[in-house]
Amino acid sequence: MRLSGRNEEGASQVILGRGGALALIFILSAFMAGCAQTPPPAPAIVAPAVSTDQLVGKWGFAAYHRDEDRARTIKEAKAQCNRPYVIAKGPNGGLMMNLADQRELSELVLKAGPNGETYLGPQSAPAGGPDDRIVSNVDANSFTTVWVDPDNASRYGTSVYVRCGAKHAA
Amino acid sequence: MTVRAGLLLRVALGAALAVFIGAGAGAQTPVPGQDEMNIGDQPGYQPSPAEEQLTGAYAKQEVFFRTTQSPGTIIIDTQDRFLYLIQGNNRALRYGIGVGRQGFTWSGLERISRKQEWPDWRPPPEMIERQPYLPRFMAGGPGNPLGARAMYLGSTVYRIHGTNQPETIGHAVSSGCFRLVNADVIDLYNRVPVGTKVIIKQAVAL
Repeated sequence: MRLSGRNEEGASQVILGRGGALALIFILSAFMAGCAQTPPPAPAIVAPAVSTDQLVGKWGFAAYHRDEDRARTIKEAKAQCNRPYVIAKGPNGGLMMNLADQRELSELVLKAGPNGETYLGPQSAPAGGPDDRIVSNVDANSFTTVWVDPDNASRYGTSVYVRCGAKHAA
Repeated sequence: MTVRAGLLLRVALGAALAVFIGAGAGAQTPVPGQDEMNIGDQPGYQPSPAEEQLTGAYAKQEVFFRTTQSPGTIIIDTQDRFLYLIQGNNRALRYGIGVGRQGFTWSGLERISRKQEWPDWRPPPEMIERQPYLPRFMAGGPGNPLGARAMYLGSTVYRIHGTNQPETIGHAVSSGCFRLVNADVIDLYNRVPVGTKVIIKQAVAL
């Protein structure tokens, strides 16, 4: 195939040979396809790795600052079930817990962080906000939290929660 | 010297002694719950060295102290917020203390039954009631409200301990028992063995 036309003097001339014509058609096709392309899909919302139900219950609650105290702190947490920390489900499906230094309960939600970590905090702020905690080491009967805010983290250290009562299936 | 002059002299000396011991304390008879310093425990707070440096009457110092108790005995005066470690020869090491509500609730004689470095902290039920966000157990270490050392009194819940809140020395506070700044509690801890006699003198009637 080739495209032909007339030059300024009106003489007939070949403008594009066969290969050029094919290339032009290809380019035009791609351009038109791009114009007709739908907007890219929104990024998928990643659910946090931990579910709300996993954290509901009565917990022995203890804290430590030095890593070498973790094992015995977990043991001590089990012994605190006579004064359990109770986490109940909130009216909006979240978790009723205390923020740092707050006597009143707040409804908190689990949020997925950008790198796969799980945060727990007010729904009004994105994951990793100043009132959030990072939730880790979650199994059927225990979990660990550390405050995102450096001052809170410094004061409260690492918190461990050990489930009170009968063990749930993992 | 006549008998009467001698009596007058002894009265004058006694008054002077009382004034000396009370000097600088500026203490008032505390009413637990009403005259308390309005400060809650601050687990995890670590004071600066400047904050931990006591000055004036509440700084550790050797004082004149007449007593019939043996050297090595501890006498706690909750009204004036001092702890005395008897040295003998009418001398005592005097430490400034803060007195928690528990510390006002009894008087008498106990002996140090146990000593612990960097003690663990278990907030009492009434504190958990006021501050439900507190862990029920916090492993010992800097920032722990019990501070660097604890000396437990008999089989009671009472103890002499350090603090991470040096500003509470000289005051009545809501929680704890008898608290010293960490440098002072370490100093006292190193001086007194298990079995040391501790006498608590109260001026507040329940």
